[in-house]
Amino acid sequence: MKKKLILISIIAFLFTACDKDKPITTDITINFTHTVDSFDLITNSMIYTNDAVEHYDVQTLKYFISNITLHDDLGYTVLKDIHFIDISDESTFSFTYDNLPNNNYYAISYTMGLDTIKNISNAYINEDFHATMFWPDMMGGGYHYMKLEGDFNDSLSGYATHTGGTMGMDYSFNHLDNISLTIDDDLGDVYININMEINNWYNSPNQIEFSSYGMGIMGDMQMQMDIQKNGITDVFSVTIDK
Amino acid sequence: MKNLMYLLLGIILLISCKKDLAPISGCTDSTATNYNPSAITEDQSCIYFSTTPFVIETPYEFPEMKIPSDNPMTIEGVALGEKLFKDPILSANNTQACIDCHKQNSSFSDPNQFSTGIDDIQGNRNASALINLGWNTSFFWDGRSLTLEEQAFEPVTNTIEMHNTWMNVEIALNSDKEYPFLFKEAFNINYIDSIHVVKAIAQFERSLISTNSKLDRYLRNEEQLTISELNGYVIFNTEKGDCFHCHGTNMFMDNQFHNNGLDTEPFIDLGRAKVTLDVSDNGKFKTPTLRNIEMSAPYMHDGRFATLEEVVEHYDSGGKYSTTVDPLMKKLGVGLQLSNQEKIDLVAYLKTLTDNEFIDSE
Repeated sequence: MKKKLILISIIAFLFTACDKDKPITTDITINFTHTVDSFDLITNSMIYTNDAVEHYDVQTLKYFISNITLHDDLGYTVLKDIHFIDISDESTFSFTYDNLPNNNYYAISYTMGLDTIKNISNAYINEDFHATMFWPDMMGGGYHYMKLEGDFNDSLSGYATHTGGTMGMDYSFNHLDNISLTIDDDLGDVYININMEINNWYNSPNQIEFSSYGMGIMGDMQMQMDIQKNGITDVFSVTIDK
Repeated sequence: MKNLMYLLLGIILLISCKKDLAPISGCTDSTATNYNPSAITEDQSCIYFSTTPFVIETPYEFPEMKIPSDNPMTIEGVALGEKLFKDPILSANNTQACIDCHKQNSSFSDPNQFSTGIDDIQGNRNASALINLGWNTSFFWDGRSLTLEEQAFEPVTNTIEMHNTWMNVEIALNSDKEYPFLFKEAFNINYIDSIHVVKAIAQFERSLISTNSKLDRYLRNEEQLTISELNGYVIFNTEKGDCFHCHGTNMFMDNQFHNNGLDTEPFIDLGRAKVTLDVSDNGKFKTPTLRNIEMSAPYMHDGRFATLEEVVEHYDSGGKYSTTVDPLMKKLGVGLQLSNQEKIDLVAYLKTLTDNEFIDSE
């Protein structure tokens, strides 16, 4: 009888042990959100003003966020290599990474645009964004990092904030945000929001005027650097919803 | 008794032999084209439906063509599509074929500003060039069709084009001497319906690929461009001309819709907004490829410009103001400010996109 009992408890133990071995993981969704002066972006509305007091609207916003990575004490997890966001296509506003291992994640990092390794002409030729995002070889090749377009000056003029690797220069930049995210068995799905504050592309530390864009800024290294600095300063922010 | 048993055995053998001698033999596989439902014995005569794949090699610096899985390219399908494309049988009075408004020597477009249908009524948009269509994500100037198959349904029944009904087309094709055989060969169908007509035409259209222009040969290091053409190449591919943002990549189009400043408001033709019902799309039209552009005059959705020089002049002037003009063109009153020589160079470059092999091929 005693023997039987021991056997039963061993089997019961094995069963529960098996259950415990099955990894319990969390799905994590990265959302890309867009604000102007902290309010959700409304496209095609002449309601925004930059620090140069130019009234403007936003008609087009397409950009790449790449190297999206979570950092933990022991290493890192790349959630996605390249993500393309198009304000006219809601399906691009998020992606989900399944089965994130239990860990203490202390930071998320990502690249605005495409770094030199990724920014190669025709590297993404079979993607739908290829035809609209490519950057002519004549101007350095690769892809636009961002196309932010609209009107200003009471709709009489247009602006095109096109950033990218002018003549092969790398103006992409990395952003690292500290977070406090402990993934354990009890945690449900997690959402990390990466927000782009659009107006901040134009304000600080460099005040940028659409009226100085001339025939365009794709070949203007100084402008690319100024916009990059603004981007690094305060365009992106991260929040977590659990 | 023993004898009786032998007799019985003999009879049984005979009967069974008899059965073996007179079976109905034929093809017993229901998936074969010559399946015989009353056949009991398989005689290895089955013939199966098979087509020869039409292989599309991805041209240099082109994406892979996305072909619908329910309409794979076949030699038989393309040949049938070409026959249909050139056959007036699709029109109500048997006088007009697709090719009458999509002429090969005009890069499969119409040299007239507007095409005239079978009832002598003109349309209000210029017939599109049919070239490298397999890389397009929408069709018509307003993009109202999302596939070539869907597109091909329209001209047949359009009252100012072929003015026919699909029922008439089906009757005509099914009672024809050749078509039933050709459709059987291409699609393994016994009754010709509209769905397979548009499938065949779409296959033919996907086969119309042009990538052997002077520029292609230049990019493949097989031919040199002139100084003027090279200068035009630079203007085109930098913000000086800013042509590339819409007519970019080796496809020379972006699959998008733009208002390029042709008209002031109110627009006579709302273009894309007719499909999306979005006022911010007013006056926008689909970017056409510039390949073979020299051959597909006149230009713009309404064919208003007869020459490439007029087109370049339009962009150089900056165009007319309306609220939905593309931001990239909203430098009104400024324009590109090209010199006369630069305009000549830009046109020279555009003409390097002519592919005579495509225009002349059988």
